[in-house]
Amino acid sequence: MSLEIDHVTKRFGTTVALDGLTFEVGRGEVFGFLGANGAGKTTTMRICLGIVVADGGAIRWDGRPVGVLPRRTWGYLPEERGLYPRMNVLDQLVYFGSLYGMEPDRARHEALAWLARFRIPDYAARRAEELSKGNQQKVQFIAAVLHDPEVLLMDEPFTGLDPVNLILLREAFAELRDRGRTVIFSTHQMETAEAMCESVAIVDHGRLVAGGRIRDLKRASGRRTLRVSIVGDPSPAWLASLPDIGSARPDASGFELELLPSADPAVILTAVIARGASVSRFEIVEPSLEALFIEHVGRPAGDDPTLAPEAITQALSPGPVG
Amino acid sequence: MPGRDPILPNAGIIARREYRDRTRSPLFLASTVVLAGLAMLAALAPIGIRSIDRQTVTHLAVVSSDPDLASRAAGFADSVLNVPPAGVTDPDYKRPYAVEIATDPDAADGRLAAGQLSGILHVERLPSGQIDVALRTFESPNSARSQVLSVAAFGIGVVDWSSRLPPSDARARFITPIYRVDTINTAIEGNKPIDAQQAASRGFLGIVFVVLLFMTIVIYGMWVATGVASEKSSRVMELMISAASPRQMLAGKVVGIGAAGLTQYLAIAVPALVLLAFQDRIAEAILGADWARGTQLVGLTPALLAGYGVFFLLGFTLFALIYAAMGSFVSRPDDLQTLSLPLSLVAMVGYLTAIVALGGGGGVWVAIASFVPPFSPFVMLARIMVSAVQPWEVLVSVALLVAAIGSVAVVATRMYAAGVLLYGQRPGLRAFVAAARRV
Repeated sequence: MSLEIDHVTKRFGTTVALDGLTFEVGRGEVFGFLGANGAGKTTTMRICLGIVVADGGAIRWDGRPVGVLPRRTWGYLPEERGLYPRMNVLDQLVYFGSLYGMEPDRARHEALAWLARFRIPDYAARRAEELSKGNQQKVQFIAAVLHDPEVLLMDEPFTGLDPVNLILLREAFAELRDRGRTVIFSTHQMETAEAMCESVAIVDHGRLVAGGRIRDLKRASGRRTLRVSIVGDPSPAWLASLPDIGSARPDASGFELELLPSADPAVILTAVIARGASVSRFEIVEPSLEALFIEHVGRPAGDDPTLAPEAITQALSPGPVG
Repeated sequence: MPGRDPILPNAGIIARREYRDRTRSPLFLASTVVLAGLAMLAALAPIGIRSIDRQTVTHLAVVSSDPDLASRAAGFADSVLNVPPAGVTDPDYKRPYAVEIATDPDAADGRLAAGQLSGILHVERLPSGQIDVALRTFESPNSARSQVLSVAAFGIGVVDWSSRLPPSDARARFITPIYRVDTINTAIEGNKPIDAQQAASRGFLGIVFVVLLFMTIVIYGMWVATGVASEKSSRVMELMISAASPRQMLAGKVVGIGAAGLTQYLAIAVPALVLLAFQDRIAEAILGADWARGTQLVGLTPALLAGYGVFFLLGFTLFALIYAAMGSFVSRPDDLQTLSLPLSLVAMVGYLTAIVALGGGGGVWVAIASFVPPFSPFVMLARIMVSAVQPWEVLVSVALLVAAIGSVAVVATRMYAAGVLLYGQRPGLRAFVAAARRV
């Protein structure tokens, strides 16, 4: 069973938001949906929920079009946080739970349990407007998961959280995954995605530019770095002459070698030992998710393409004279 | 995904939240107290009007082609109408009626229409010698004044007959005078015209009711629109729209806020009804037994309150649906002011037409407006208050209003769904139409 995003297209006026976007998320996965601002992540989530209607393509869960699924299938944490400001936290959670079909008593029980878990049990009777942004975010997360949905769609769930709450949320994600729930979240924080996800989809301008298991993506990128340190030889320049080495540069304790796709680390290690060198470090380092993202998208995830230096330069430059 | 969601229970859950949110707000409590005070004043209006009436002079004119007859009739009417109440011996007793002779009938009619005269007594001697007295007035034939004037008419006949006894005209036989009342455009109650005091009360109450109706419809309607816009601006709409369908949200909002309005209506009406129940005792305590007579239930009646309730509920539902659709089109409550202006103007047209109707003007176009939604809640209510309206007219007006609500509900739901689907965007007309078609 999986969530299939199948050639989904969406335009807003002349802007193409999604351009045949296609990928798949397996049940019980924690899935990273990565892309720069305006890449189409939020639009995809809204189409899943029926908030926005796709121009073409289909989205299916467990083989069924999402339009026929009950609303309680989904839990949604929007990027822009919003609660009823004057309503107290517990009433608010019971309200949303009831809308998803929960009995009020059960919703109340679950809500109190989640509040305790997020270390804010005393806030149950407080108005939402009295809470800090981070705590409001936790309440909104609880509103999204209270009815125990099969699929959780989270738009930038980690933004604005302090390290302690970040860990609490990560633990909650892991628990939901262990209970067989599917968690899909978008983020600009590549380290978080790398730490939590098995699979990701990287989108750019409404298209999938890379997707699948992170390990496979790293392998497929062909980019590997070898870090080598030789005892008694702080700058072994001869390493650059070994076979299948693309480039070499010294690092703090030795050399960092960029391996060509054809390189076999075992062959390189044999060659080094054959030279009589005493190896204190021989480490194959895979590229980070951040590096993969930049490789595929051409800029870091946090960069807003609408604020690219070229665009600013063009905007500020005087127009043609005459 | 509009087709998969039944209207209940989510619409009920949303309605309950809206109801609680409104009725617990300080603004709601304050406006309820103010409006309840207004309604209680309205309930006491008949007593107030009677009290004012006690201190005012009623002007009557006598018109006749025979100057002598006019003089005799004016003198006799003056003496009959100004008899002090039993027990009043005050030499400074203020005469409640001023009777004058009018030589120009057209001018007298003009003064009657302008409210300078309360009635005109047309007195003529027929060839048979019988005196014909016609009272032209806004009062009904059953009013106290009309009854007193029937006595005066008899007396005028006697005086005229006696003035023609020998030597002037022997053999003349006394014939009982004819007396009739030509009532001008008064409201009816149970197929009977109401008297001038009732009409005055109704006119005042009509203004109060129409103002209340206009205020509540526009205020509650704006509550609906602001509620929708606030949910969009606070972004809680994104949570809501993933939890409930637009149809459920629209129905819940209108029902919840409508119920809050109904609660306020009852909070206003119940104290007023209690005052009505004790109106005779209050009138007697304030005015004394003689003047208190006739004040009971002449103004605010349960039937009129029920009429107000029906037109409030239907009018509110109609306007609230449109306000909700409008609210879905803006991203911030601030933007509502401009967008809601045309709808407020439409309500204002209904309100002003109703005011014209309360003044007895407008003619055919007021009658037409009383059947045409969205003006009918205001105008028909006004017509019921102050003029003769047949039951079938009220039924047709209500039926048309219900039909309009059904049609508007379909369109408003599409607009609302399109508005929230266009979330976060600046919707152009084309995008809106396209979105509305997809819903």
